[in-house]
Amino acid sequence: MIELSQISKSFGRHQVLQNISLHVNTGEVVVILGPSGSGKTTLLRCINYLEKPGSGKIAVGDFQVDCSRARRGDILQLRRKTAMVFQQYNLFRHKTALENVMEALLVVKKLPVVEARRRSTELLEKVGLGNKLDAYPSRLSGGQQQRVGIARALALEPEVILFDEPTSALDPELVGEVLEVIRAIAKEGITMIVVTHEMGFARDVANRVVFMDGGVIVEEGTPDEVFQRPREERTKQFLRRITPEANYVI
Amino acid sequence: MGAPFDIGYIFSFLPKLLETLGVTLLIVAGSLLTGLVAGFLVALPRMYKIPVLRTLSGIYLSFFRGTPILIQLFLFYYGLPEMLKLVGLDLTRAPVMFFVILTYGLHTGAYAAEMIRASVEAVDRGQVEAAYAAGMTPYQAFSRIVLPQALGIAVPVFSNLVIALLKDTSLAFTLGVMEMTGKAQTLGTLTQHFIETYIALALIYLAISFTLERLLLAAEHRLTRHEIRERSGGATWFNLKRRSTYRSLLHNLPDVDTGKGGRI
Repeated sequence: MIELSQISKSFGRHQVLQNISLHVNTGEVVVILGPSGSGKTTLLRCINYLEKPGSGKIAVGDFQVDCSRARRGDILQLRRKTAMVFQQYNLFRHKTALENVMEALLVVKKLPVVEARRRSTELLEKVGLGNKLDAYPSRLSGGQQQRVGIARALALEPEVILFDEPTSALDPELVGEVLEVIRAIAKEGITMIVVTHEMGFARDVANRVVFMDGGVIVEEGTPDEVFQRPREERTKQFLRRITPEANYVI
Repeated sequence: MGAPFDIGYIFSFLPKLLETLGVTLLIVAGSLLTGLVAGFLVALPRMYKIPVLRTLSGIYLSFFRGTPILIQLFLFYYGLPEMLKLVGLDLTRAPVMFFVILTYGLHTGAYAAEMIRASVEAVDRGQVEAAYAAGMTPYQAFSRIVLPQALGIAVPVFSNLVIALLKDTSLAFTLGVMEMTGKAQTLGTLTQHFIETYIALALIYLAISFTLERLLLAAEHRLTRHEIRERSGGATWFNLKRRSTYRSLLHNLPDVDTGKGGRI
């Protein structure tokens, strides 16, 4: 369970997030949509403190942090309960696919090497990269790199996986394979918060869709509610812009 | 100038010059050690943008990169004892080698500082975020993720640095240090076969530079084995061109200027 309450964040004088509160149940898949600059990525990055929230509270599982007085230890704790999949994959370039997945298991979870290797191999096989264990990221396609990134996140067995536009940097023909993997793990009941521009995917996989604009949550609801019967004008405008043929009304 | 050319002298001078190779290598090794420590200390305030120290680092860099090494040698050898006398420290009896290694060390430090800063900053920031997101501490992220990659990026610059330093040590004879160039001067004066001594001397410097370059190139290949390389078949001993293309893969690679003609 994730509970964000009253999260605010400013870059200089520009307020990016204004008192955002969001509740995510265990096993739920929440997709955050919104135009660029709406603060959705910033919100995601506040959850694991890659951006420092100005104020508010973050609770992940049974662990709670008050952002106005978070200490180093708190931040580390918070990060160890979450995992992130990045837009640019951010794999460790000097490590093989297997080593990328093993790294945090060894360094953070302090697992024995044999155990870490076993678990990492399993996960890479699960994302369809059983034959690429020893390949360096420079030898992998974008889609393959992102699947390693997903395996790396899964390995930590986090309370929640944060996806930051996981397919935005991919060539169009590689998007499918990555979405397929995310869809599969969503079915396993792993809690996920996904920032994406893939509307079809959002509609398919999300239990709940959150629409953000201007640093606030404008509207949230089931995919059907948000895509087919949006209540707010800003949501309607946004959906019209990204789906010009208005095919969101099936 | 002097006696007529006799190729035989070159061969007879080689072993005599090599007797002083140890002194040259001692200066190189001592200065590198001093330089890397100094460089690290100078690079830190620049990387972390620490207000006052950062300015001091800047002054240090300007001085050592902006003045000739020969002047620096003279200033340190003749000037430092005078200055320290004012605070009651007597350095007049310190060995020449102390001043030589100190000067070359601080000189190297200026270039090492830029090398360290640029290499660390060249490792893409996203990987550090990934390390943090996985719950690593800043120290773990630096030592396990940034450092190994920064080393690979630094090697070509480091290679230039070492070779430049090796050649610069030939100026130490101006303070009366009997390293290879000093020895060559003496041999030349004694036998009047100047050309032969300098040919022998050049050959030795060339051989050492070449060996160092090959060794460091091998180290670079080892440290950057994770990046794709073109498969050019022409990796002969005399083809010193770097085959790696990893630099093109790094985003926002800052210019690494050694100031000595070596550039990433």
